[in-house]
Amino acid sequence: MRDPAGEIGWVVTVGQPTLEPLSPGVTRVLEDEKDKEEKSPLVMEAIHLDEKPPSNAENSFKKHESNKKGALTDIEKLYQAVPQLANVFRIKGKIGEGTFSSVYLAIGHLRGGREEKVALKHLIPTSHPVRIAAELQCLIIAGGQDNVMGVKYCFRKNDHVVIVMPYLEHESFSDILDSLSFEEVRNYMFNLLRALKRIHHFGIVHRDVKPSNFLYNRQLQQYALVDFGLAQGTPETKVELLKIIPSETQQRSSAYHKSPLTMGSQVTSPTSRQLVHQSATKTANKRLSSISQTQIKQGHKRKEDPDCHCVQRSVFGEKNFNVRSSAFQGRSTVKQPRIMDIPVRKLSVKKKATSVVNNGLGKKAASSTQAHLTCDCYAKDSVCTICLSRRQQVAPRAGTPGFRAPEVLTKCPNQTTAIDMWSAGIIFLSLLSGRYPFYKASDDLTALAQIMTIRGSRETIQAAKTFGKSILCSKEIPAQDLKKLCERLRGKTTNFDNSAGDVQMHPSQEFPLTVGIGNVSDSAFHASKKHIQYQKQSTHEDGGKEKKTLQKSSDPKGWDRVPNSAYDLLDKLLDLSPATRMTAKEALLHPFFRNVKQ
Amino acid sequence: GSADQKVKSKLKNPFLKVEDRRCRYRPFYLQLSSFPVVNYSNPRPCSPFDVEKKNAHGQKHIHNKQRNPTNSDREKRPNQVPPKHKRRKGYCECCMKKYEDLHAHIESEQHQKFAKSSQYQVVDDIISKFSCDFLELRENTPNVKRRKCNV
Repeated sequence: MRDPAGEIGWVVTVGQPTLEPLSPGVTRVLEDEKDKEEKSPLVMEAIHLDEKPPSNAENSFKKHESNKKGALTDIEKLYQAVPQLANVFRIKGKIGEGTFSSVYLAIGHLRGGREEKVALKHLIPTSHPVRIAAELQCLIIAGGQDNVMGVKYCFRKNDHVVIVMPYLEHESFSDILDSLSFEEVRNYMFNLLRALKRIHHFGIVHRDVKPSNFLYNRQLQQYALVDFGLAQGTPETKVELLKIIPSETQQRSSAYHKSPLTMGSQVTSPTSRQLVHQSATKTANKRLSSISQTQIKQGHKRKEDPDCHCVQRSVFGEKNFNVRSSAFQGRSTVKQPRIMDIPVRKLSVKKKATSVVNNGLGKKAASSTQAHLTCDCYAKDSVCTICLSRRQQVAPRAGTPGFRAPEVLTKCPNQTTAIDMWSAGIIFLSLLSGRYPFYKASDDLTALAQIMTIRGSRETIQAAKTFGKSILCSKEIPAQDLKKLCERLRGKTTNFDNSAGDVQMHPSQEFPLTVGIGNVSDSAFHASKKHIQYQKQSTHEDGGKEKKTLQKSSDPKGWDRVPNSAYDLLDKLLDLSPATRMTAKEALLHPFFRNVKQ
Repeated sequence: GSADQKVKSKLKNPFLKVEDRRCRYRPFYLQLSSFPVVNYSNPRPCSPFDVEKKNAHGQKHIHNKQRNPTNSDREKRPNQVPPKHKRRKGYCECCMKKYEDLHAHIESEQHQKFAKSSQYQVVDDIISKFSCDFLELRENTPNVKRRKCNV
């Protein structure tokens, strides 16, 4: 009965499902990258694409058969590390493992006696308490609504912290990608954007938006954005603890522990670390009291979901496993929650980004003590000892390479919620093209090169200027038409359409059966007809009619009638310039979502 | 800097070079054997940037685990995640220190001291606000008798 393999009906989907057999955790990869940079400053060798891309957080687990024994040992270890767990949960198995956490499926009994599945996220014991607290705060403040995962409870023993979350059985993105109908894709994106709107509203930059962090239950049509382990706060974030994690440490990578030489008179002021390690707790405590009030208010305000699969926010007055007497503390202080009273400032990424970028640059230039020797390598195809002797710029880059926005890849120090929108665009790109992962890169610049291949080199270079970066590319690559790109990658025209030009199928390549119905049937000799259809559709996109036309469609999955608005939205999410990139709020109002059922 | 000390090297095509427009930081760059291209002939759902791997059978080997897409198959899937290789190097945010072996570091005196310190008050303060709606299982009879949690 302890054998978990037979019992669990779900698997945490992985970030890079094509990885096999072992994907290095982020730490290792970053270490490797660092080694490369440090050991061979002059020549950074081409990185082969067959290197496994790193994956993050709880999702980078390797999907192997076997090793139940090992997993069981992990479960035993977890019981040992946090003994309170044994009093409440039966841990069924490990369902995810990443660099910073492992996730287990467990069953507990609700007061009514009903069994409930939960996900137990065991954080790596090297996590700083403030970071742990910040993750909890994200879940408490933003979670539990609008497709953002919430938290039910939390256990701690010494450095071991386990977050209890509602369990959402979900699909593996790559498994279902092929079989999704166009309407499902629309709903998926709508719900993802709802989650992003919610967290951005609270000034949370997720930093690791990707399918494996957006749980999707196809049958129940339930969605949950998970994992705030890499989250960062915007300057006006409502998650107070995010403010006291300096952004540099956010990445948890070797990047901020570079040799003193590269660290130099870095952005990382000595005080920022001090802050975390010395005064953080104090500050946090002060701030926490107001947060907890927020919690109370929200707990009451929130519509109770009859289906308690949905997140339950804590409501005071119940037993607490960790703290005997303090469960009620703070209750008497329930008054107007300070944070919630602050009118929600609009997260106008557009305006902010530009000014912030400039400010940031100015500040750093001023604070820089190092004399900048000039050389003539700038914007030229050369590097020299002078420019290479400069310190490296440190910018947050936590996340997964294929989902990182251009400003992240180019180490722009000021990153906004717009980076999450880019990632959402990458997911959308996967959905529309039927390709996942879409970008396959093990390092930032390879990812950037791949982006340029899609979005154009000139366009990328132009956009980078707006955030203070010069990109030099040895090759000029034109931007792709997103619609053509996606349709072609989706396979609409493969083999069945000679007009598609140079589409070549490997002779021995079996035509993917799964593409089947959806794509073969809508083969493209109707290309011109379809074009007319798009136009028709877009002129009267009111619900009923649209539904009718969908039913008449030759492709039951609706892939022969992807409206142009889809590619327009995609284009706006994959805006190379963060300042003009569409926000979640704007995206939800995009014509693509007209009549989406909510 | 004097000119004679300066060593300059030319980047090999194709390359990508990124630098801060104010030239205050070290440029970073990538030299590739070939610039990425969109490979339309990769089978779905493979990345269009997936590189083909030569395969003994002359077949394109773009590894792609086609896993069972249907719900009915899901039970059969392996659900277990194999453990990571024991030695995991990384950085401890608590001790502000790199480690070569996660387990060894966690057991170290320095880390243990931190682990038992009051630094976690910030976490406990949040935890104290939670309520638990789960029952406590009685030891050894986890399935049958239970009482309200009261730890």
